[in-house]
Amino acid sequence: MDKLMKILTETCPGVDFEKETALIDDGILESLDIVTIVSEIMDVFGVELNVDDLLPENFNSAEAIWRLIESRS
Amino acid sequence: MAFTSVSFILFMAAVLALYYLLPGKVQWLLLLAASWGFYLVGGGWTIVYLLLTTLTVYLAGRALGALNSRKRTDKVKGLKKLTVLIAALLCFGLLFVLKYGGYTLRLIGVKGFEPLLPLGISFYIFQSVGYVIDCYRGKHPIEKNPLKLALFTSFFPQMVQGPIGRCHELLPQLTAPRRLNWDSLKYGIQLAMWGYFKKLIIAERAAVIVDTVMAEPSAYPGAVTAAAVFFYCIQLYCDFSGGIDIARGAAEMLGVELAENFRRPFYAVSLADYWRRWHITLGGWMRDYLFYPLTLSKPFIKLGKATRSRIPGKLGKLIPAALATFTVYFVIGIWHGASFRYIVFGLWNGVLITASFLLEGSYAAFRKRLRITDKNLPWRIFRILRTNLLVFVGRYLTRAPGLTAALSMLWATFTGFRLSDLGGVLDLGLAPSDIVITLTAMAAVLALELYQELGGHVRAGLEKRSWFIQWLGILAPLTAILILGILLRGDYIPSAFIYQQY
Repeated sequence: MDKLMKILTETCPGVDFEKETALIDDGILESLDIVTIVSEIMDVFGVELNVDDLLPENFNSAEAIWRLIESRS
Repeated sequence: MAFTSVSFILFMAAVLALYYLLPGKVQWLLLLAASWGFYLVGGGWTIVYLLLTTLTVYLAGRALGALNSRKRTDKVKGLKKLTVLIAALLCFGLLFVLKYGGYTLRLIGVKGFEPLLPLGISFYIFQSVGYVIDCYRGKHPIEKNPLKLALFTSFFPQMVQGPIGRCHELLPQLTAPRRLNWDSLKYGIQLAMWGYFKKLIIAERAAVIVDTVMAEPSAYPGAVTAAAVFFYCIQLYCDFSGGIDIARGAAEMLGVELAENFRRPFYAVSLADYWRRWHITLGGWMRDYLFYPLTLSKPFIKLGKATRSRIPGKLGKLIPAALATFTVYFVIGIWHGASFRYIVFGLWNGVLITASFLLEGSYAAFRKRLRITDKNLPWRIFRILRTNLLVFVGRYLTRAPGLTAALSMLWATFTGFRLSDLGGVLDLGLAPSDIVITLTAMAAVLALELYQELGGHVRAGLEKRSWFIQWLGILAPLTAILILGILLRGDYIPSAFIYQQY
């Protein structure tokens, strides 16, 4: 989880990833952010993500992103 | 049959009456007949293209349905991709030939190919190709009834200029049996009235100034050119969003909720934010069917790995996404028309959005040093004004007669702007009283949007009021439209919606 938080805070400084639960629904993460985060995740965690994974429910919170990574590990 | 014609109002009234009189099971057939009738009146024989597109995506959907039920082998995956590719090539090929065929042939010296551009062609093609890709992804069940799919591709309120719908959201609504709901009817009429207000009272007047200047832009000083582009920003928004309001209102009267296409773009705090609020369904289409697949494709992932290992920092991470962003804005630019000015328009947006993403960290540090938060009002106002200025500059490119003219106009605006020249706006064919009406009505639009931006809900607010006030919400704009949009219309002819030929 620490590695993920590092990716998130480096990509989007100023966003409180501990508390936010509507990163997509509230438009906090933009498509450019999502793509950067996905590329980093694939690199750091060695998992394969594809277009079908890019659903709001998978990216609305750090917790949800973590669950997505775990499901692919 | 233009939305602004009396015949459309009568057509809508007849459809509504029949729709709610018919048994639920056959209501969707009436919608299909009405949609094809609407298209035949507006687009004539070019309905053939619509039918061919529908047939193409129907067959592709059926093929994908059959493949989805088979075991996911490499061969099946390959066949699925091939099916999507063929369907997309056929649909976009048709769009390319009709929209850019003449231009391309002229480039190689062949003249005389000037096909009639079918009504709303790119909207139904985008929607149809989206259907096929969603079938490929297994996002919704395959539609087995070709007539139901035909209703999805041709539903008349959205035929002219969108919004671009998604099958899993729209088709179940179109085919569901419905009973008359007075609230839906009331809300639909209110929304359509608001659309007519924007189109007939604001956009039509602003168009007079814009068309006069753009017919011979070099004849006017910088201040008048800037005023014309300012009025163009107003015209474009009120024309396009007005048309969408009418479409969404008409659909709502039938109990169908179309996707939102505009979310108060003049209050955007960045260019990226602006494009998330403007033509939302096209932006969403580009994001889901072009940007994401491109950035997550194998060549882009490979490129990302290479750039991250060779270029340190955010730049290395950003290059593949930046390339995809450029591609999206290039495509959006080209979609507007076959001209270099549209390509430059796409690049203008792509460069600025990528640059702001790249500089995000520096901005955050700068704000922190000055102790400015995003909620700081002066900072927010500054960002809104800055965004509108960037959009304003971009609009020179989309409205000028050509790239050279656009650049000359920009040069004239930024090097020769004299306030004393602004009086020239009074000589552009729009009476001073009409200019006042345009600006006052636009101020009313912005005031209402500010109320919404601050969290206000117009419908909920009206709902708490008496029955009389609720219907006044319909009658007031209706009266304004009748008096200011029709009776007191100046010496100009109402034009078609700008986006209907895209």
